[in-house]
Amino acid sequence: MTSRRGFLAGLLATGLAPAPSWADLGGPAFLAAARQSDGHFLLAGLSETGAIRFTCPLPSRGHAAAAHPLRPEAVAFARRPGRFADVIDCRDGAHLARLEPPLGHHFYGHGVFSPDGTRLFTTENDYENGRGIVGVWQVTRGYRRIGSFGSGGIGPHDMVLRHTQGMPQLAIANGGIETHPDSGRAKLNLPQMRPNLSLLSLEGQVLDVMELDPELHLNSIRHLALSSTGTLGFAMQWQGDPGADLPILGLYQPGTPPQLLAEGDPRLRNLRGYGGSVAFSPDDQAIAVTSPRGGLVQVMETHSGKIIQEHPLTDVCGLATASTGLIASTGLGQIMTLTGDTAKQLRHHNLAWDNHLVPLT
Amino acid sequence: MLLTLASVLSLTATNLQADMVDEILDDQILPAMQALAESSQDLAEVAGTICRPGATPLRDAYGQAFDDWIRVSHLRFGPTETDNRAFALVFWPDSRGKTPKTLAKHLREADPDLLTPEGFAQSSIAGRGFYALEFMYYDGHFASAEPHAYRCALTTAMAQDIAANAAAIHQDWQGSYADQMRMASGRYQNKTEVKQELYKSLNTGLQMLADMRLGRPLGSFDKPRPKRAEAWRSGRSQHHITLALQALHPLAIALAEGNQDLMEQLDAAFQKPILRAQRLEDPRLEGVADPAKRFRIEALQQEVNDLRALIESDLGPSLGVLAGFNSLDGD
Repeated sequence: MTSRRGFLAGLLATGLAPAPSWADLGGPAFLAAARQSDGHFLLAGLSETGAIRFTCPLPSRGHAAAAHPLRPEAVAFARRPGRFADVIDCRDGAHLARLEPPLGHHFYGHGVFSPDGTRLFTTENDYENGRGIVGVWQVTRGYRRIGSFGSGGIGPHDMVLRHTQGMPQLAIANGGIETHPDSGRAKLNLPQMRPNLSLLSLEGQVLDVMELDPELHLNSIRHLALSSTGTLGFAMQWQGDPGADLPILGLYQPGTPPQLLAEGDPRLRNLRGYGGSVAFSPDDQAIAVTSPRGGLVQVMETHSGKIIQEHPLTDVCGLATASTGLIASTGLGQIMTLTGDTAKQLRHHNLAWDNHLVPLT
Repeated sequence: MLLTLASVLSLTATNLQADMVDEILDDQILPAMQALAESSQDLAEVAGTICRPGATPLRDAYGQAFDDWIRVSHLRFGPTETDNRAFALVFWPDSRGKTPKTLAKHLREADPDLLTPEGFAQSSIAGRGFYALEFMYYDGHFASAEPHAYRCALTTAMAQDIAANAAAIHQDWQGSYADQMRMASGRYQNKTEVKQELYKSLNTGLQMLADMRLGRPLGSFDKPRPKRAEAWRSGRSQHHITLALQALHPLAIALAEGNQDLMEQLDAAFQKPILRAQRLEDPRLEGVADPAKRFRIEALQQEVNDLRALIESDLGPSLGVLAGFNSLDGD
């Protein structure tokens, strides 16, 4: 029996069908994983105003997703320790392929395509060796595994594609925490952990490694956002004693020292040591972080680092840049638009939205 | 006749529903905020006339105002968060020792501009509030710091700053915030959101107890951290735990209104840790470092965590709050 994917590929090869593109979709702007009220999990495509454009079932809890740069195709990643990544046709939610990590690896829940869409990169844990890995998959040959390279640290989590003067790079948040599936999600190396933000070429060459001061070595660099000028925003999760006064959000422009935001502002405590997702405002003037533990979105000014807004929002986690402001999702099913000092509900779905909102740009 | 009775009953039912928020506001929050404003004002007046840190009237006034803060310390939303008022009242935990550093700087510089209400209100939050004042009254070094006159003027400014913040919080609650919660239109879009806010404050209070007031000094068995106990210098660590539990107890019961079984369960689940906290006989929680006493403090923490579990599983759903899909996760 010809698989749907094989059939489509055949059509494309013979030039009989126009190549599908994101424009065919009628405007889904974001991808997000969710839990349904019956306990099953899915990936959804959302319009700019939070309407559901498609859904696709997932075998277990999802985390984030990666969108193909040209074709309306996305990869939904399982929550760590992830055993699958599902390739989905975003026109109708059809399941096209399943990626499974090599023996001795698991996915961390994030990944990114090369700019031409021919390769997919996935953050992985080589858990028998305690190494952070980037897996490389050849998209054009049915997502075949073609190699891997070191991520530049332990516990790579979020990864984004950063374009600079024609040379695309992978920016990787190496959270620094070693885990092994045999001990669940237990953290095995806290005393020695050293998170970093690494920049790698698409071939795996380490171009730059940013580490914070040793006194912040328990602040796990976990999630990333990219401004239009190439500045990386990074959100952290504190692994030390609760109640410490710590930065959760930072900016990094390679070649200059990292800038920690809102340092010394006691309101950082409202984040409860936990940044969930991070995104820039559309004009790059502000950067925001969600804290599901604090039930809060904090918005900070990029040039001064000051907190300019707090939006209380129960169980918020997903966050992305939208055309007019920021968009956030919650475990209570809300899709919210955040502009200036107002937080307005766009939609409410009978779903628990999971950690991330992934923009399709 | 029957119709009348039915409508009376339905009216009563509606009132009972509305009563939950009214009752919490009128019987708990507003009187507690008023008490804090009054005792803080009293502290400012006493501090203005008595400088000697060991003087009983001064310590009594300080103790009363601090007690009143602990009783509302879980209500961290709205008026307490405006202009960082709560942080200016309580900068704790202070893991980097910013409070003593800031106070030492104040004393060294002896800047007269700092002593005006405006000047002091602009100063670093780490040098303001109850914990900073505790250093000035109970820490041997700061309590005798020179210059004497500046130290006295500084503690007066600190107490006045506490009073101004407490008054502003009370004023906002009384002037508009309580009404916004009653009306449940605007800031809160419906009654459910109001109840969820109150529920969240109950959780915040219990989490603060388990993770901060108990968890920080407990540290680990191999590495207890008695000097991390809250307000150990003034010997108030144990007392704060009792006060916080006693303040959260009626809030939990009120939120369970209409469910007699749960009210009784919650009542029992609060009685246990309250009794245990009262019987610790360990004002500074120094017992965390004594294997023979430590288990009692651990047992107290466990009871607080049991309480949290009960509230999350049984009280939350009745108020439309499900266990956090993201907030209890971590990734």
